[in-house]
Amino acid sequence: MPRISSLLLVLAAVTLVDAADRRALEEFEKHVRPLLIRRCYSCHSAQSRPLRGALRLDTRAGWRTGGERGPAVIPGRPDQSLLVKAVRYRDEALQMPPKQKLSKSEIAILVRWVQIGAPDPRREAPGSQAANGPHWAFQPLTAPPVPTPQNDNWSSTPVDRFILARLRQSGLAPSAAADRRTLIRRLTFDLTGLPPTPEEVAGFLSDATPGAWSRVVDRLLASPHYGQRWGRHWLDVARYADSNGLDENVAYGNAWRYRDYVVDAFNADLPYDRFLLEQLAGDLVPSDRKNVTARHSRLIATGFLSLGPKVLAEVDEKKMEMDIVDEQVDTLGRALLGLTFGCARCHDHKFDPFSTRDYYALAGVFQSTRTMEKFTKVARWWENPVATPAEQAALDQHRDRVTRQKEAIDRLTRQALKALGQTPGSGETASDEKKFPEATRKKLEQLRQELTSLESSSPPLPTAMGVTEGEVINTKVHIRGSHLDLGAPVPRGVPGVLSGGHPVSFPKKQSGRLELARWLIRPDHPLTARVFVNRIWRWHFGRGLVASTDNFGRLGTPPTHPALLDWLATRFVAGNWSIKRLQRQILLSRTYRLQSVPRADAMAVDPENRLWWRSPLRRLEAEALRDAMLSVSGTLDTTVGGSLLHVGNRAYFFDHTSKDQTRYNVPRRSLYLPVVRNHLYDVFTLFDYTDASVLNGNRASTTVAPQALFLLNSSLVESSSHQIAVQLLAVPAADNAERIDRLYERMLSRPASSREIQLAERFLDSVASVLPRTTVTVVDRWQALCHVLLASNEFIYLR
Amino acid sequence: MFTRRQLLKTSAVGFPWLALQGLLDQEMRAASADPLTARGGHHRAPAKRILFLFMKGGPSQVDTFDYKPRLQADHGKPLPFKKPRVQFAPTGQLLGSPWRFRQHGDSGLHVSELFPHTARHADSLCVINSVHGTNAAHGGALLKLHTGSDSVVRPSLGSWVSYGLGSENSNLPSFVTICPTLAHGGVKNWGTAFLPAPHQGTPIGNASLSSADARVPFLENASQPRDLQRLKLDLLGRLNRDHLKQAGESGRLEARIGAFELAFRMQGEIPVIQDLSRESKATHALYGLDEEITSDFGRQCLLARRFLERGVRFVQVTHSDTKVQWDQHSNLREGHTKNAKEVDRPIAGLLTDLQARGLLEDTLVWWGGEFGRTPCVQGTNGRDHNPDGFTMWLAGGGSRPGIRYGATDEFGYYAAENKVHIHDLHATLLHLLGLDHERLTYRYAGRDFRLTDVYGDVVTGVLG
Repeated sequence: MPRISSLLLVLAAVTLVDAADRRALEEFEKHVRPLLIRRCYSCHSAQSRPLRGALRLDTRAGWRTGGERGPAVIPGRPDQSLLVKAVRYRDEALQMPPKQKLSKSEIAILVRWVQIGAPDPRREAPGSQAANGPHWAFQPLTAPPVPTPQNDNWSSTPVDRFILARLRQSGLAPSAAADRRTLIRRLTFDLTGLPPTPEEVAGFLSDATPGAWSRVVDRLLASPHYGQRWGRHWLDVARYADSNGLDENVAYGNAWRYRDYVVDAFNADLPYDRFLLEQLAGDLVPSDRKNVTARHSRLIATGFLSLGPKVLAEVDEKKMEMDIVDEQVDTLGRALLGLTFGCARCHDHKFDPFSTRDYYALAGVFQSTRTMEKFTKVARWWENPVATPAEQAALDQHRDRVTRQKEAIDRLTRQALKALGQTPGSGETASDEKKFPEATRKKLEQLRQELTSLESSSPPLPTAMGVTEGEVINTKVHIRGSHLDLGAPVPRGVPGVLSGGHPVSFPKKQSGRLELARWLIRPDHPLTARVFVNRIWRWHFGRGLVASTDNFGRLGTPPTHPALLDWLATRFVAGNWSIKRLQRQILLSRTYRLQSVPRADAMAVDPENRLWWRSPLRRLEAEALRDAMLSVSGTLDTTVGGSLLHVGNRAYFFDHTSKDQTRYNVPRRSLYLPVVRNHLYDVFTLFDYTDASVLNGNRASTTVAPQALFLLNSSLVESSSHQIAVQLLAVPAADNAERIDRLYERMLSRPASSREIQLAERFLDSVASVLPRTTVTVVDRWQALCHVLLASNEFIYLR
Repeated sequence: MFTRRQLLKTSAVGFPWLALQGLLDQEMRAASADPLTARGGHHRAPAKRILFLFMKGGPSQVDTFDYKPRLQADHGKPLPFKKPRVQFAPTGQLLGSPWRFRQHGDSGLHVSELFPHTARHADSLCVINSVHGTNAAHGGALLKLHTGSDSVVRPSLGSWVSYGLGSENSNLPSFVTICPTLAHGGVKNWGTAFLPAPHQGTPIGNASLSSADARVPFLENASQPRDLQRLKLDLLGRLNRDHLKQAGESGRLEARIGAFELAFRMQGEIPVIQDLSRESKATHALYGLDEEITSDFGRQCLLARRFLERGVRFVQVTHSDTKVQWDQHSNLREGHTKNAKEVDRPIAGLLTDLQARGLLEDTLVWWGGEFGRTPCVQGTNGRDHNPDGFTMWLAGGGSRPGIRYGATDEFGYYAAENKVHIHDLHATLLHLLGLDHERLTYRYAGRDFRLTDVYGDVVTGVLG
């Protein structure tokens, strides 16, 4: 169709022009058009997928408007026309066609055509981008009324009323409540990442007084393990790792300070607005200078901006700088706003209303921020000093000693020179020293040795990954994302569509991170609270109210319960951004306490359980699985915080050697194990840990055979099952049945059924028959049974 | 609550039960549908599988497969045009190749004396002299080569192929990488990024290990006799089925029961593949297993053939020691001589063997490094990294045999004629495997991603 219409237009055009023009047009048809079709249309026409450089050469308007670089042809001026410049291949950044230069005669055709005024009969207008209508996520937050379903004797909290109202619209009722054993197991894993102990289970079962559930919720929210579990969720979003990854895999030797900061923040219920402010601009927040710990923790918080993977051996330093800025803009967008700003680095966002100008307005904030100490390969990231006053004093003292030592050496040298009749400072040399008296020489040597050992024993100055202010600049638009092809500078700013008509003004003398952060945590920000409460919902229920947790844009999934999402977000902001309060609201609901068993009537209507008629069945995450194994085997070391890296800051985990010395057989919580990008711990990789380079608020949960191999053959499973067996046998028991029962209580939070006891007893006998009789011990037999339970679906799946 | 089996029994009672049955089956299929099930690509294609012979460090094009008489003639003179804007290290004057080139076979392809054995297969090779990339450092270049991106984390080529075509053998992973290097991107070079996890490459050993010691992780368990394991699996199966009844039907729970059985079968199958004693002495000799210098890489090649013939879709072998193998910033002569010697006989043996078994027709073999080297000297006797023009070759799998495609300039510095960017190469490899690089997409973070991003053209000139 376009072809026919343009042909008609050609004919129409031809009838209107005079003879000279006709000759020019003939020339166009004979030489120029075929050349364009042959060599340019594949990338620059209506049929091009993708259209390169946003430039079309199949219509006159196409080259007149031009693409990302502006008009392609200036009629009559070949030397100023980008098209001619490109085909001449003189500019490294602009050579067209990219595969093979045109022949001399072909170039001449184009030059001549431009020279004579670029006559072109093709009048079809180039296609325009789809218009941007309103999108739910960009609308202001609302405070919807809590529904009041009729005859509702089920709901106990507002969350339930939202859920019930929506279920009833689809003709569904919620499932029955789960039993207490299931519930305490579900909740304990959910809030702490660990299984409940048999005592904790018994305590909850025997608590018949009202409020038993809310007491368990409160007990677990107050547990130090809570921050280890929920801090880890945030670390998924912060793409936390202990190494750089990408090309040069060197240690982020101080990243752990950020990890510990996050754990502390969750345990202390640091309000989310404050949490964000510190991570984006902790160094700029006005603060009480005397409270050193608080100031340090805010500096450590800015590690959030620095943790991303970087190509540290990038030879092109400008590219490295812009890649790092891009990683920050992209992380900020997806982590905090659920928006894929990164797309707009090269072109206006195809689906969401963000232009490249919006992107570079944000990029300016980060380009004005100092993330790197130097860009020269191998580049070094910036670290902020975080020494305590005592550490600083020790360091100052040490420096004084070094200075005094140097002075003593100087003094002695000067005296000796004077004695020789020379003027000190007039270029004494080593040969002069030879003329010193022997005693002086010996003394000098001794002083110098002392200096050397003093200098090498300097107390370490603790530092933390993070950012500081850089040179304030407005970033230029990078055409098609290339740092070699710059457009006009863009003043720093926030995306127009989100500013709600109140543009944020950025200071001339600061990067603007503080202003950016304050804008993000404005109570009326349409996205910050929505995105975060949705993350919390996702981490409790396995799926968000918006399933695409990291994308609230047009290509994300719309919310299943928009009113509930807004209600939670509004309450969250009104409740001083308290995360624990938000979670309490969710956990005290009946919705959280439903059974997980599928029901025929509901499966027919909502097989994916999008309306939450049941509780989802969930597999333990990598960390919870490993921690649970250590926990039930009684070997878990619950020490809090610190670093387990075996290499120093900025040292290579392994370079060309491929020999990774990192050890994971430490019984600490998985949160504290090294996160080595490019070579993650096996258990992490197998059980859908994040990639640790890209943020991920919605981990996958796959089922693959290598997981089974791990559970069958790994030393972790073997040693855990051995430990459980040893401990089980160390406690006296009336018979095997009692032991088996205890084992079930410990591992699965429930007693064994008589059938299970029977199966287990028979199994213990059979083990003896397949192992060599002479060597098989009672521990071996029980270990085999423990192994089976560790590998079982019931151990690894929460109902 | 009803279990699936109970429902089966009562399904005659009424329609809703039947409906539920259907839904449960659907859920189960969705959850347990093996993402590795073999499937056809977008179009009929000659190649069913692919083998990448990766030469880590950057072999020099002008000393191997890109004959430049002018470079020999102008040895010691300055390069008569500009060096690239971004260079890894400063270089000096032109350095002629220390090796002689000769034409081989009916095709008359030029191959240097570094590859005498491979040269005998000249008529099977499709040598691409005009490859170019974007990154002058190993890390960036490896990532670009393996994932299409040197700035952000993206799925690897092998995982895209697995995602596109699945595996022909349900007892084996679809993507295997033998002795890969952990440096310069490491796992990212065989990772899935956001593609589903089963498409992840399965590493067998790594570059710090001899290929004789390379194993699939957790495949073996010396302390556990197979009988005992079978016994455990039987109890596990019973407990899991009981649990399934309690928990209600779930595709994932059933899939996990299946996963243990598959793991058990893998334990049987992979050691058989890795047991090279099943190959004849002649085969061992063919791959160079009889000589110390060739045995390590030869074993990798032989393993690769054994995985390929059992239906693994993407196999990569890596020639990399604990240094950066082909990275001769100095001592080009010694380094390249040793490196070529280690791989030449095994590669030639592999090609002979694939041909003899009729596997070369539908197996695409691909040889090359992350970049080439400069025609200008670094120091006194080395060559620097050169991503601006280098050589890779293909053989079999529908590639056009016995040709040289594209060209660098007279000195072998820049790709000049029929340039093939890494993205074009990726598009072409996928094409030969029946996959359209523009249609092989995955929706993530709100948009459709491709291996080739928004670039790449199939290089029709190398298609057979």
